[in-house]
Amino acid sequence: MIEHALYLSVALFCLGVLGVITRRNVFVVFMAIELMLNGANLGFIAFARLHESMDGHVLALLVMAVAAAEAALALAVIILLHKHKGKLDTNVFNLLRG
Amino acid sequence: MMHHSALLLPMVILPLAGAFVLGVLRLATVRERGMAAHHFGIIAAFGPILSFLLALGLLVQINGLPGHDRVLSQSLYQWFAVGEMRVNFGLMADPLAVLMVLFVTFVGSLIHIYSIGYMKGDPNAGAFFAYLNLFLGAMLILVLGSGPLVMFVGWEGVGLCSYLLISYYNDDRANVAAGNKAFIVNRIGDLGFILGLALLFWAIGDTGFDYADLRERAPELTPLLALTVGLLLFIGATGKSAQLPLYVWLPDAMAGPTPVSALIHAATMVTAGVYMVARFSFLYMQSVPAGVIIAWVGILTALLGAIFGMFQRDIKKILAYSTISQLGYMFVGVGLAAYSAGIFHVFTHAFFKALLFLGAGSVITALHHQQDIWRMGGLKKRLPITYVTMLIGALALAGVPPLAGFFSKDEILVAALATGHPVIWLLGILVAGMTAYYTFRLIFVVFHGTPRDAHYEEVTESLRVMTIPLMILAAGAVLAGFINLPPILGGHQLLSHWLGLEAHHSPHIKLELLTILASLTVCAVGIGIAYRRFIPTAVEPVYHGFARFAEAKFHVDELYDSLFVQPLLGAGAAIRRVVEPRIVDGPVQAVVWLYRAGADAVSAVQSGYVRVYAIYMVVGVGLLSFAVYRLLVG
Amino acid sequence: MITPPLSTMIFLPLLAGLVVLVLPLGRESARAVGLAVAVLMAAFSINLFALFDPISGGFAFYESYPLVPALGIGYRLGVDGLSLLLLVAAGALFPVVYLLFSTKSRGYYGCLLIVQGTMIGAICAADLVLFYFFYELMLLPIFFMIGLYGGPNRVGATLKITIYTIAGSLLMLASCVYLGVVYQAQSGVWSFAVADLATLRLSGTVATIALLGFVLAFAVKIPLFPLHTWLPDAYTEAPPAATFVLSAIMAKIGAYGVLRFVLPIFPEPLGKISLLLAFLAVVGMAYCGIAALGQRDMKRLLAFCSASHMGIIGVGLFCLNVQAITGVLYQMVAHATSVGLLFLLAGLIEERTSSRDIESFGGLGGQAPLFSVFFMVALLGSVGLPGTASFIGEFLIIVGAVKFNLVIGILAGTSMIIAVTYMLWLFGRVFFGPRTKTATTMRDLTPIESLTVLPLIVLIVVMGLFPGPFIDKIEPAADTLSAQVSRSSAAAGAILAQRGDGDG
Repeated sequence: MIEHALYLSVALFCLGVLGVITRRNVFVVFMAIELMLNGANLGFIAFARLHESMDGHVLALLVMAVAAAEAALALAVIILLHKHKGKLDTNVFNLLRG
Repeated sequence: MMHHSALLLPMVILPLAGAFVLGVLRLATVRERGMAAHHFGIIAAFGPILSFLLALGLLVQINGLPGHDRVLSQSLYQWFAVGEMRVNFGLMADPLAVLMVLFVTFVGSLIHIYSIGYMKGDPNAGAFFAYLNLFLGAMLILVLGSGPLVMFVGWEGVGLCSYLLISYYNDDRANVAAGNKAFIVNRIGDLGFILGLALLFWAIGDTGFDYADLRERAPELTPLLALTVGLLLFIGATGKSAQLPLYVWLPDAMAGPTPVSALIHAATMVTAGVYMVARFSFLYMQSVPAGVIIAWVGILTALLGAIFGMFQRDIKKILAYSTISQLGYMFVGVGLAAYSAGIFHVFTHAFFKALLFLGAGSVITALHHQQDIWRMGGLKKRLPITYVTMLIGALALAGVPPLAGFFSKDEILVAALATGHPVIWLLGILVAGMTAYYTFRLIFVVFHGTPRDAHYEEVTESLRVMTIPLMILAAGAVLAGFINLPPILGGHQLLSHWLGLEAHHSPHIKLELLTILASLTVCAVGIGIAYRRFIPTAVEPVYHGFARFAEAKFHVDELYDSLFVQPLLGAGAAIRRVVEPRIVDGPVQAVVWLYRAGADAVSAVQSGYVRVYAIYMVVGVGLLSFAVYRLLVG
Repeated sequence: MITPPLSTMIFLPLLAGLVVLVLPLGRESARAVGLAVAVLMAAFSINLFALFDPISGGFAFYESYPLVPALGIGYRLGVDGLSLLLLVAAGALFPVVYLLFSTKSRGYYGCLLIVQGTMIGAICAADLVLFYFFYELMLLPIFFMIGLYGGPNRVGATLKITIYTIAGSLLMLASCVYLGVVYQAQSGVWSFAVADLATLRLSGTVATIALLGFVLAFAVKIPLFPLHTWLPDAYTEAPPAATFVLSAIMAKIGAYGVLRFVLPIFPEPLGKISLLLAFLAVVGMAYCGIAALGQRDMKRLLAFCSASHMGIIGVGLFCLNVQAITGVLYQMVAHATSVGLLFLLAGLIEERTSSRDIESFGGLGGQAPLFSVFFMVALLGSVGLPGTASFIGEFLIIVGAVKFNLVIGILAGTSMIIAVTYMLWLFGRVFFGPRTKTATTMRDLTPIESLTVLPLIVLIVVMGLFPGPFIDKIEPAADTLSAQVSRSSAAAGAILAQRGDGDG
């Protein structure tokens, strides 16, 4: 039973990672990150159930709260980026290039 | 047992205070040019004259002491004390110092007075007189210092004044170079002096560093150490007193005003080396070889100076080489432990050489700064006082009896024979003949024959303020020799007894007779040759072969230049152009390059794309998890 | 006397500097604040000098508060004979700078105040970590002074001095940590107090490496050949006040560091390499002297001159006897007054004529007589003419060096010759000769400027003729230090001799 939940969690996380790595649109990358967070959340819940402890729930709720805050910030940043460059392609934003 | 004397400090302070006052006055009035040269001169003359009076007082004081214990001192304060080293700043006078002080202040006073006339109308006379007073103060410190380090204060002080006065006419860069040369060459000697003092301190100085303390412990020195210290100190003397191999600065020093040449570069400062050796007689008595080396250096310098002097054409340079040559004699005297003979020659030389220089100065001003003897001639009628006084000086220098130079020079030569150095004696006699020749060459060419100067008719005798010192010095040149008449001539060697520097030995009648005869002969020969060549008319000779080589001073200056000066300058320039930017800075540049290359290599990883960083992260986290897994499980 | 005196002397200029940087003051009021603080500091330090009692030994005016008790790091301050003269110099010389240079901006004066506070902190620190803190901090204001107010090549100069100093300091940091750990291992408690560390008995390879860490750090600061290459650039590009600070005080803190930490803590390893270090110092002295001879830029020449004279101080540091150590302590101040003054005067020449090219000058003596007299005295002070302060210092160092090693002594003595060659050349070229066009733009010192410089001139002469009061304050400390060092090396020698006997 726990294995299934964990498999799903890992699958979600990997999909998210893949999305971050392969997609170029900032929005999609952002959504992929959300996917990773949710994959992690599922893992927490599953373990909480396994150990019959509330710690996992607490962490999951914390992650959700942080994700919400992060979303607010990230959307603001994305708007600014769009204003600045007129595009939402991650390839355009390479100021850190060495 | 030392006796206190309160005269010493004021004697030193007076000229120094004069220098300070003159310096301040000069700086205060330099903008307005409000003060005439002779006003400075009159203020400047006070210090030396008062010091001379004090020196007379000192003479009275010291003669009031019992014969075996004639040391006056005035200890001032402890200069510094570090560990075993305790150095006092004090003043001290024994008969040797009193004699030096007497003629230094006497000649100094006369030259100050003479300068009032010589420097008339010079806009920078304030500085000149300030330096001259400063010099006299430093010279008195040198002579009266209670220990070698106090002497060194005066030693370097007179060097500084010498530098400032040689560079006095500094619009001409050549004069500045001459000043630099004098200072630097002197410093080379001073290095020897300082090292000698350091060695002396570690050998016997840890119970006190005054002459009195050192004298007491001098017998403890090992022969090797005594020789080393003696020679190191003598290196200092070769610098200050223009001996081989450091004599090269003195002829160039003639760039200074003529009174300076008379006072500093003939009568007083350059004899400081001789005084130093006599002052350290307790040390040189421990090492006969050191003294013999000094005597040999002295006689070779005397010979070299005389050779150069015979072929020069600049009136002051002839006298300068003559000074070098006579200083050589003095070192023969003190080197062979005939200290009183050496000092006696210092004393007589001060009179007649100062006289000759001042006379030359009188000629030079009369001819509007002409110094070439081949542009002079027939000046006897135009400058009668100068002529007569210079003639007296020349006779004294040439060693014609009964003038001063005759007695003192012969005494040194007798000492050479008596101590068993016939070669030195022979060379000394030879130099005496050469001296007579070049001295009368100068007199005949300048004062006799036909006039060669275009302005001959306008030439007039110098001011009385200049000629009176000449006459006084001429009287000195005649009389100075009589204070140390040898027994053979009916005297009692008063000066030698009074100085009491060496154990008294019985007179060598035969040697003295031989020396007198020989020196009279060569003197007559020298003057005779000069007479044959330059009377009635002198023709400017063209030198060939050896004479030309000697006229060019054996190219020693050029040799030193290419051996020492140019390599150092070249090294300096090479360091600026090549070594600093390329070699010493190399490691720094290499490090900078390494960092830059490393940064370039690493920056390739920084693509700037977010997803690439994400890949790094995933890979990194993956590897880390794997490692943790292996650590915990495997 | 204000209490606590040392903390006040550190924090008064530091806080004043921060205030000047933060508040929107004008140029003139910033300078007025700086001058007021500098005068106060001068008064404090002279008072401190008068109150200092050399006989009691150990640190006077000691302050101690724990900072990191777990590691034995404390805020410990104190003055003894080794630091007294340097402290007084760092405290008392600054008014001249504020009085002579009036055209700089607010930040400049702020930095000058801060650098004074940090330098005094480094001099007074009686705790290794505290010393390290101030030692690093004092680079910061210099960094800004050169970088913001320096000459055209200031960026390169700033980078160079920073890289060099930081590299040296990191080595020192490692050595500091080593010392702390060793002390903990030997005594069971942590402490970085200087007095505690001096009781360490160190020997062996690791100790020698730790010693080198210190020596390298201080050698960069002094600077000793061949670590001097930051110096000509920094001294030349820096504004006059920064050059003055660097050459007059900061270079000495490097030498002081050697006396304070290296000699007492590492006597035995130092004994093995002292000959080598002294030889390097002599070589550097000669090298920098000859380099000075080749310069065409007045400030560069003086920079090499300063480095050359620091070479003599370096020789004295490693001769390990009381004459040499006293000579070093004395020479530090003598050098600060004479060479420091030369840098200030050269700064004035540059400010007034906009030229540093020696060849472009001539006849300055007639143009500015008072100025040239002062320059001459400072110059004579720097070449060590008897009657000036440097003579006492140099003579003591040479005497000590002759005892230490005759060859080193002779080579050290050659500084007497080398120094006059370039100095007389400089003086003759600039002040003598026909007056050039550049020289006619020179203005002589005003009465106020003359009065500003005069105390330094008087100090040069007074310290040469009457060194007694100064030497009496420092000699006991130098004596103790040299006795301590020679006892340790003698003990080490005895051990070696025993081993030799055992082998035989």
